[in-house]
Amino acid sequence: MKYALFLGCKIASQLPAYAASTRAVLGHLGVTLVDLEFNCCGYPARDVSRDAFVVAAARNLALAERAGLDVLTPCACCFGTLRHAIRFIDEDAELRTRVTQALAAEGLAWSGKTEVGQLLQVLARVIGIDALAAAVNAPRTGLRVAAQYGCHSLRPSNVARFDNPMAPTVFETLIGATGATAVDWPRRLDCCGDPLHEANTPLSESMTRAKIADALESGAEVLCTACPHCQLRFDAVQAGTSAPVIRTLIYTQLLGQALGLPAKSLGL
Amino acid sequence: MSPAVFQTALYASLSLCVLGLVWRVSAWFRVRIGPDARAVTPSRRVAAAFRGAASALFSRSLFRVLDAFFLDVLLVRRLYTNEKLRWFGHLLILVGFMLLLLMHALAPVVTAKLFQGYQATLDPYLFLRNVFGVMVLFGVALLLFGRRLRQTCLPQTRLAQTRRPIDAAFVALLAIVLVAGFLLEAQKIASPRAFYRMAEQFIGSTGAEKLKPLRAVWASEFGVAFGDLVQPIDPGLVEEGRKLHGDACAFCHTKPASAFVSFSIARLLAPVADLLDRGRADTWLLYLHVFACFLGLASLPFTRFFHAVANPVSLLVNAVAPKREFSLAGRASRRALALDACVRCGICDTHCSVAPLARYLGNPGLLPSHKLVATGALASGRLLRSGQENAALRAAEGAFLCTDCGRCTSDCPVGLDLEDLWEAGRGDLGAVSLPAPAQWVQARPALAWAEALEPGAAPHTFSDADASFAPLSADRRSFSRCVQCQTCTNVCPVVAHSNDTEHGIDLTPQKVMNLLRLGLRDLTLGSRMVWDCATCYQCQENCPEGIRVADIMCELRALAVRRLGSVRVRREQS
Repeated sequence: MKYALFLGCKIASQLPAYAASTRAVLGHLGVTLVDLEFNCCGYPARDVSRDAFVVAAARNLALAERAGLDVLTPCACCFGTLRHAIRFIDEDAELRTRVTQALAAEGLAWSGKTEVGQLLQVLARVIGIDALAAAVNAPRTGLRVAAQYGCHSLRPSNVARFDNPMAPTVFETLIGATGATAVDWPRRLDCCGDPLHEANTPLSESMTRAKIADALESGAEVLCTACPHCQLRFDAVQAGTSAPVIRTLIYTQLLGQALGLPAKSLGL
Repeated sequence: MSPAVFQTALYASLSLCVLGLVWRVSAWFRVRIGPDARAVTPSRRVAAAFRGAASALFSRSLFRVLDAFFLDVLLVRRLYTNEKLRWFGHLLILVGFMLLLLMHALAPVVTAKLFQGYQATLDPYLFLRNVFGVMVLFGVALLLFGRRLRQTCLPQTRLAQTRRPIDAAFVALLAIVLVAGFLLEAQKIASPRAFYRMAEQFIGSTGAEKLKPLRAVWASEFGVAFGDLVQPIDPGLVEEGRKLHGDACAFCHTKPASAFVSFSIARLLAPVADLLDRGRADTWLLYLHVFACFLGLASLPFTRFFHAVANPVSLLVNAVAPKREFSLAGRASRRALALDACVRCGICDTHCSVAPLARYLGNPGLLPSHKLVATGALASGRLLRSGQENAALRAAEGAFLCTDCGRCTSDCPVGLDLEDLWEAGRGDLGAVSLPAPAQWVQARPALAWAEALEPGAAPHTFSDADASFAPLSADRRSFSRCVQCQTCTNVCPVVAHSNDTEHGIDLTPQKVMNLLRLGLRDLTLGSRMVWDCATCYQCQENCPEGIRVADIMCELRALAVRRLGSVRVRREQS
């Protein structure tokens, strides 16, 4: 099993633990990860030009296609952006022409072959829950974990094609595979607040705090993420607060612990 | 060349160079980049620099500094890990140039003191001078070739790099120095005039008969191109001349064939050697060689080749402490130093995450090398002069589209902390009313923006010019099905968390859709709902009519940046 690993800008620069634990866990499970020199997924350009964002995303897909690989990304926002770009290209023939031209200028092309997989999807559907459970040798039995899905993995569901957007189960099943217990919490599908933290800080923090309080109230000991934006936002808001805090863990760290991998390799 | 002329020119160019260096170095403590840097006075920055230098010299970090000096400064380690070809070219220039400077240019004070009996016309100096010169020329050729190669192979860099004429002129000067040097040496080898001058000085005779055997030696073995010599040269005559040569010349002259470049040129020049002698080529080639050197010396501090000074300083400072460990005073100086230490090599541009966006948007202002220049221009106030409005807006777009991926910093061959520079630059942009779009749009109410748009702008027609740019918001089919059921509003977390009027939203998602239905799109562009949308896609997922509410919000923001941006510039100009 072989994928082009799309870390995105955030993980590469600000959350090396996610990169390290992803490599450690997937390496342990026999998945080969190839590093290509991808560019920005295109997300920041959505607010400037739809065309530019789609071209940037398509360039990444073309790079993966040239290497003959599908893309695996641990970032929910990169995942959403790449999937969105595919949708926009599929539904707009003129846009497809402009994208093709822009890619051709540097000798690239995207025929539509590249699949984009979110890390949780690949773990649950490609590697499989049974294989994961079989590989677990240090089960996290008794640990109560709240799953933080990340909006762009789930919605819009016709673009992401990830799981049932109203009642997803993938993340909880994956948490169960580590031996931990997934708790049900009312705000599990809510936005973490990260996209607004610069544009409207008080509103963003209000959203983040509501989630943290809800996870604690629901009896969770760990808030488990699968997106660098969520993880960094929770940590940033909890860093400067006197309110009760919850321990955050990236899913690959939780799984790595259950697989008995050394803490250092998981960035812990 | 008379000593007076030489000395005057030397001291004049040297003092210009020193003054220039003082001016440029002082900028490291004067230039303020980043809002936090305004809190530190230049004197505190100088004091911090001295304290840092002193603590580095008298502690264990001295070893780190020494390691950086040998590996980073002399052997250019960081460039080696990035681009081998460019590293090789750079090393050739660095080593060749330094050795030429020490062995040749500073011969009276360096080589002659170290090695007894130094003569420029003896081996190994004759040979080495050519080797070093070839190293520099070959290095320059490699760098130019590499640049051309990158421009053709990697369109990512095709956006123009920032170059100044003075930098190109400096490279031309360097080429002139080297080429004139080789030509001068070649001309001297081939010159009969030089031969006779030396003969008179050391043998005391220019008599044709007496010099005949010596001429034979110098023509056959030293490359002098006598126009009146009978060919072929009699070997007996050569044998005869060797004695005189041994007595009068051999102390200072070895066979110039070891000066492999100059000697080859001398062969080519042989047919015109007399002509060159009559035209006093030795004099004007010497003037060209020496004055190009002086001009280069005087202009060095004002070109980007000032990096020869700034780079080592930057690398050594890096060695003292990891990037973020500096005091505010230290960081402020390092930012200013970074402006000078950047060599515009463009390696950052080739790896920049948003380079494809830069190319597609046609805005090189997104690329790190341009951002660095813009940051400097903003700090010096140049970016805010009239006529620079567009440049300033492009720089702002570049600053706020940066994803902080950190590749520029990790790939920089000089090890500049560019991320810190970008953060400081964004602060400076915010301070001069060029903040991120979310900030400048929300600084005014939606209604004010709508009124500021073109006077009499009719409600948008459904086949408007923005259709290709914002297709969903321009196509009535994408929102006309809205039944105003308020589902979008009910599931919107932004609406739910808008508890106070100061930070709350003005419109709800459903009202935004309604304004679109009424053809009043301009009213939505500056609205807080559009700009505070978290793109969580709850609205879109839950809309019973399948309206792509969040996608439309994204489009409206892009449209606002474009349309309100033009209004903003007009307003600020008037």
